[in-house]
Amino acid sequence: MGELAGIQSWMHAAILDPDGPAGDAARVVTASARLTARERLAIYWRGYRLRLLESMRGLHPGLVRLLGRDVFDGFALDYLDAHPPRAYTLFRLDEGFAAHLAETRPDGAEHWPDMIIDLARFERAVTEATEAPGTEDGVPPGTGLRAVPCLRLLRLTWPAHEYLAAVREGADPPLPAPRPVHLAVSRRDYALVVRELGPRPFAALDTLARGGAAGPVPAGWLRKWTGLGFLTRAERLGAAHDPAGPVPAPMERNTAR
Amino acid sequence: MTGSRSLGFGIGLRSPHIGYVLRHTPPVEFFEAISENYLDSAGRRRRDLAEVAERYPIVLHGISLSIGSTDPLDFGYLARLRSLAGAVRAVLVSDHLCWTGVLGRNTHDLLPLPFTEEALAHVTARVRVVQEFLGRRLLLENPSTYAGFTASTMPEQEFLSRLAEDADCGLLLDVNNVYVSSVNNDSDPAEYLRALPFDRVGQIHLAGHTDYGSHLIDSHDAPVADPVWDLYRTAVQAAGDVPTLLEWDDRLPAFPVLEAELGKARRIAAAVPATHG
Repeated sequence: MGELAGIQSWMHAAILDPDGPAGDAARVVTASARLTARERLAIYWRGYRLRLLESMRGLHPGLVRLLGRDVFDGFALDYLDAHPPRAYTLFRLDEGFAAHLAETRPDGAEHWPDMIIDLARFERAVTEATEAPGTEDGVPPGTGLRAVPCLRLLRLTWPAHEYLAAVREGADPPLPAPRPVHLAVSRRDYALVVRELGPRPFAALDTLARGGAAGPVPAGWLRKWTGLGFLTRAERLGAAHDPAGPVPAPMERNTAR
Repeated sequence: MTGSRSLGFGIGLRSPHIGYVLRHTPPVEFFEAISENYLDSAGRRRRDLAEVAERYPIVLHGISLSIGSTDPLDFGYLARLRSLAGAVRAVLVSDHLCWTGVLGRNTHDLLPLPFTEEALAHVTARVRVVQEFLGRRLLLENPSTYAGFTASTMPEQEFLSRLAEDADCGLLLDVNNVYVSSVNNDSDPAEYLRALPFDRVGQIHLAGHTDYGSHLIDSHDAPVADPVWDLYRTAVQAAGDVPTLLEWDDRLPAFPVLEAELGKARRIAAAVPATHG
């Protein structure tokens, strides 16, 4: 395709350019009575960033509170500049955010970069556990115990889940002290389930979730994990109230700019 | 143009309102869901939509079809859209006359097209493919635009009219977008409406916008502006009994506020003498 492809390629590059809209805008874009061609192109340049930042903030309320909005926006824009979105849904907008933070982690032994990375990973896991297939519409076909598709297992360097839970309750919590955390995040009866596990149960559940043989696993662990909705089998155990409760829906998409 | 003409008056379904809708079953004739919010969800969001669909007709409104892009069509996306439309028994499926990105990227914005013969042929061919794949007629909405192109050789209304005819698709007429674009592009919204083939209009959108002095933004965060109501009156007179939908996204008020705003549309439509054929 000729002219159309050229215009789209040019405009796309201008919108994604971190340094601002193109200086040769008048060659392609018309001016209006009140705005130059470049000013009109800048509406799209700003709109792209504002929309994606709004979505990133909605997906990461804990990080916004931890860092403050300006610092969070800086991290988010750096990620978006390096990894422009490809998916048709904004729910996947941050799927590479934690990895990008890890790749760009400053050298040094300080703990705070790991706290940021871990919280980004946990908030991503919450979104995935909220949206991925669970067992509400029935148990998937198959035999034996297996992990539910919405189960996410995380090793963290601090209790990021406790921090996010406090933020969601509206608190301005102090930072919990660093400690190794083994976390299972899943969904049962449309409610998020977050549980901290010991190292040994976590390793066994992680092996089961990867489809491997975890060796002899105590029956009590399996019953508990099935009850919590981490594992599924032909007969589900009854659901119990989960103190973690439901979480607000991640940022939705709308048609407004 | 479709069996949906008597669908009535609807509201864009937003998550903060779903609890209210399911508790009170408000007197709204249909709801419109943003397709992309549900395509990949297997959680509560999808369950809630299914519950609303048990009580109300649902129309699906997309924002990532990217019908004008020079990238290949995403048939994975289309397959999911077709599945969702079947699951909620969607009465209408719509998207925008726009493109969202190229080179496999998605800006998540409704980017404007140059109105050229080349673009018209390109979009027409793609609409035909999409309609064949979905097994239904697609409605395409006029987006709000903030820039035009030096390459354009026809006005948007001519492009849309010829597209609807050539591709045999429907139109979703957003009268707020008509007004926003007319201010931003120094054009006449009344002339725009006079040129549209109203027998192709399958749905009308209403929404609020924000005035930044030098331009308007389609912000969906305010009541419908008076000049837009005037355009709506003209559109209803020409289109007749076409479904009308109110969109409100940011600074979302309580649901009864939206019902009251929709009530204005009902009253205007009831008072307008229809001139359509």
